[in-house]
Amino acid sequence: MTLFRLECRTHLKTLLIWIVVVALLTFGLLSLFPSMKSMGLQQIDLNAMPKDMLKAFNLSDMAALATVKGYFGYEYQYVMLATGIFAATLGTNALSREETEGTISYLYAQPISRLSIVTAKMIANVLLYTLYWLVSMAVAFLACLIFKESGASVSGLFRSFTQLTFTGWIMGLTFMSVGFLLSSLMKSNKPATSLSLAIVFLTFILGVVGKLNDKFQSLIYFSPVDTALPSAVFKNGIEWKYVVTDLIVLVVAALLTCVIYRRKDLKV
Amino acid sequence: MAVIELDHVSKYFGKFAAVKDLSMNVEKGEFYGFIGPNGAGKSTTINMILHFIKNSEGRIRLFGENMPSANVDVKKRIGYVPSDVRFYPQLHVEDLIRYTLDFHRMHADRKELTYYCDLFDVDLRKKFGDLSLGNKKKVAVICAMIMRPDLLILDEPTNGLDPLMHARLFQLMKEKQQQGVTVFLSSHNLKEVQDYCSRVAFIKAGHLIGVEDLTTINKNVKIITLKGDRLPVEQMETIGAECIRRSDCEARFTYEKGLPELFRTLSELAPKLDDVTVDNRDLEEQFMSMYENQEATR
Repeated sequence: MTLFRLECRTHLKTLLIWIVVVALLTFGLLSLFPSMKSMGLQQIDLNAMPKDMLKAFNLSDMAALATVKGYFGYEYQYVMLATGIFAATLGTNALSREETEGTISYLYAQPISRLSIVTAKMIANVLLYTLYWLVSMAVAFLACLIFKESGASVSGLFRSFTQLTFTGWIMGLTFMSVGFLLSSLMKSNKPATSLSLAIVFLTFILGVVGKLNDKFQSLIYFSPVDTALPSAVFKNGIEWKYVVTDLIVLVVAALLTCVIYRRKDLKV
Repeated sequence: MAVIELDHVSKYFGKFAAVKDLSMNVEKGEFYGFIGPNGAGKSTTINMILHFIKNSEGRIRLFGENMPSANVDVKKRIGYVPSDVRFYPQLHVEDLIRYTLDFHRMHADRKELTYYCDLFDVDLRKKFGDLSLGNKKKVAVICAMIMRPDLLILDEPTNGLDPLMHARLFQLMKEKQQQGVTVFLSSHNLKEVQDYCSRVAFIKAGHLIGVEDLTTINKNVKIITLKGDRLPVEQMETIGAECIRRSDCEARFTYEKGLPELFRTLSELAPKLDDVTVDNRDLEEQFMSMYENQEATR
């Protein structure tokens, strides 16, 4: 419990910064929707563009962009990537930062087991990510309500957002658990940010390749971002096959983290 | 009862043996010194004792309990001051102390905390990251003391401390030892080890090269230093002095026999010499002698 409190306190500032930035970004993007719609967004002819490119950018249905759900679904996928990076960074920093900053010599001199260190940090970071994600989703939902087109169903929007909140939460936790696994292997958190970027973009690219070529469709399973792509979730609902895959990765990575960290020689 | 028991402990980093076959016991209530040059394996040994790193071979027991299985239980009884104090820089000193107590499920004794803060002149309201090296060390000492440990492990505790705080720290540790606390002190400062420790272990290149009882080390052996152009080494040896170091114009001897004969001989030799000094053998001399003997036997 003490370490849990310490970990929450350590990350509080970062959490607030992320929440404010993402909230402003979401509001800014959605505030453009009414003017974009009035400019005739749905009349843009996308046939001139290569179909593969449209698929890669999840932009296959331009008519949908004329609705707040469609517009949000397209725009928010980039915030989704940023969210994945935030979650992965929380994970990659969690254990290795103590060794880089030398605070492990304080922490592990206390009567606390390594398993307790990992679990307290996991619970704290899950809570931080959950807070971030709930606030982000609440702001996004509110912005959609403010800027939605006339006649858009509030209950439909609410249902879609509930599904997105769940899938986005699973996506973030998956990236975080992979981050934790890497953190348990690293002696320093210096490569944490670049590793987080690499995890998110590499898996995202795998998803894109899976979408472009039917032969590699199974690669989508390796892309947590695709579990929570707003355009896909709003259109198809929760794709449980991807959610289950993410959950398996999450559990395996968390267990491996515990095993590796228990055996690790800490850098003091 | 031994508070720290190391039984044939080794630590390998790849093929490199940082600590090799180290066995030693630290008894309850002892003020135990642990000395050696840089890279000798002192910090590696402490890191193994505290289970920061695993020992490759051998067995470590603390308070009679096997490590690392008793890790959490024994750490409730250990106060640790690291050589490089790097605590959470964003926390205020008071918060750090409170967190330390929380980890130990203890409540702050305001009177005790005020006593330590006054003793070491520590401001609880300051951020840890803003403190100087010496003040960080003092906070680490308070964090180690405040949870009333049975064993204090101090790794170079006086680095960065001014002479006044240095004296206060050792006075406090001496008091704690008299109250039954075991103190394990790793240090480069032979003077402080000699002044306070009852036993000292010497480590070099990962090997324990000796354990000395400091209550007897100074009493019997004299160190004689002769300076001059013509050094009477043979004459000194005839009275039982053993030459331990010699250069062109200086020779050092150890001498354990009767003082009258020593002074008679020295008075005869003195006119031919530039300088003569007779000292008690101190820890530094013992340290150097052990190291040189070990070098010679390699």
